[in-house]
Amino acid sequence: MTETSVIGAGTVVSGHVRGQGSLEILGRVEGDVSVTGNVSIGPAGRVRGNVSGAELTVSGQVQGDLRATLSVLLEPGARVAGDISGPRVGIAPGALARGHVQTDGEPALAAARAPAAAARPIVLPTRAVTAPAPLPPAIRHEAKAPLPPPAKFEAKAPLPPPAKFEAKAPLPPSPLNAPPEARKPEPPRVAPAPPQAEFTPVRPIKPEARRPPPPVVPVISKGTKAKKKKSND
Amino acid sequence: MAGTVIGEGLTIEGDISGDEEIVIHGNLRGRLTTTDAVTVGGTAVVGADITGASLSVAGQVTGDVTASERVDIQAGGKLVGDIKAARFTIADGASFKGNVDMEV
Repeated sequence: MTETSVIGAGTVVSGHVRGQGSLEILGRVEGDVSVTGNVSIGPAGRVRGNVSGAELTVSGQVQGDLRATLSVLLEPGARVAGDISGPRVGIAPGALARGHVQTDGEPALAAARAPAAAARPIVLPTRAVTAPAPLPPAIRHEAKAPLPPPAKFEAKAPLPPPAKFEAKAPLPPSPLNAPPEARKPEPPRVAPAPPQAEFTPVRPIKPEARRPPPPVVPVISKGTKAKKKKSND
Repeated sequence: MAGTVIGEGLTIEGDISGDEEIVIHGNLRGRLTTTDAVTVGGTAVVGADITGASLSVAGQVTGDVTASERVDIQAGGKLVGDIKAARFTIADGASFKGNVDMEV
């Protein structure tokens, strides 16, 4: 008895109605209606505001959004101007609706519909399988395309820098690194290596065909690491 | 059968007006105007000015009451506010605080 509330045909509520239980609207409500139970709007009922509840059954007029956690049913004679959303939406012939209708409900309710939920995941995997297929070729194309440019850049770019680095690099490091004892071994390792590696490959590349240059690997004379370790220790 | 019933657990914030009987078991904040009887149940909490033909209070009411016929505060009922009614009864065990005007 106390669970179901009734707004009589001769009653006008201007304000918000919310709470637990079901509600039957036979009169007028000017404001939002939000209950946990069902909402029934009778043929003479009129609501100007948003209505939300578990099951909404509308035979009267609603000017506002209908949002249901279970279902929305527009009976013949219903007039709704507003958005309708709920897991299940029914619009009977003779009902008038104007607005956006969405049958997607809360995720929990959508998952509860086992058959529908089972059918959809099957579709999704196929998309997932098709998606990876185009990706690898794209990666391969990218892999092939970028390769030549770097080779050219390496061939052209390294030329000026090595000369500058050779001239400048060895000079400043030696005075800077001189004070600290730990850094002493470094300059000898860096200085001798680059000249050997850069001078040899750079010259043959130019006259020869436009081949990618051989990997520039600084040649470290045998025993430098051991020397460094010993010096660190 | 009452025309309008506000069930327990339901809250209305706003005005209620009509020409039929209104029974309240839930919460109401605002204003209540009707030409018929008003019944405030034991579980009801009403913070509203009430205007009606008659008023029966078993719950809590805070607000001024104007009744064309009568106002009855039942045992266990609580009313805080001024009352303007031709007849007015307070049952044993009821609580009331306010002015009474019986010149209608």
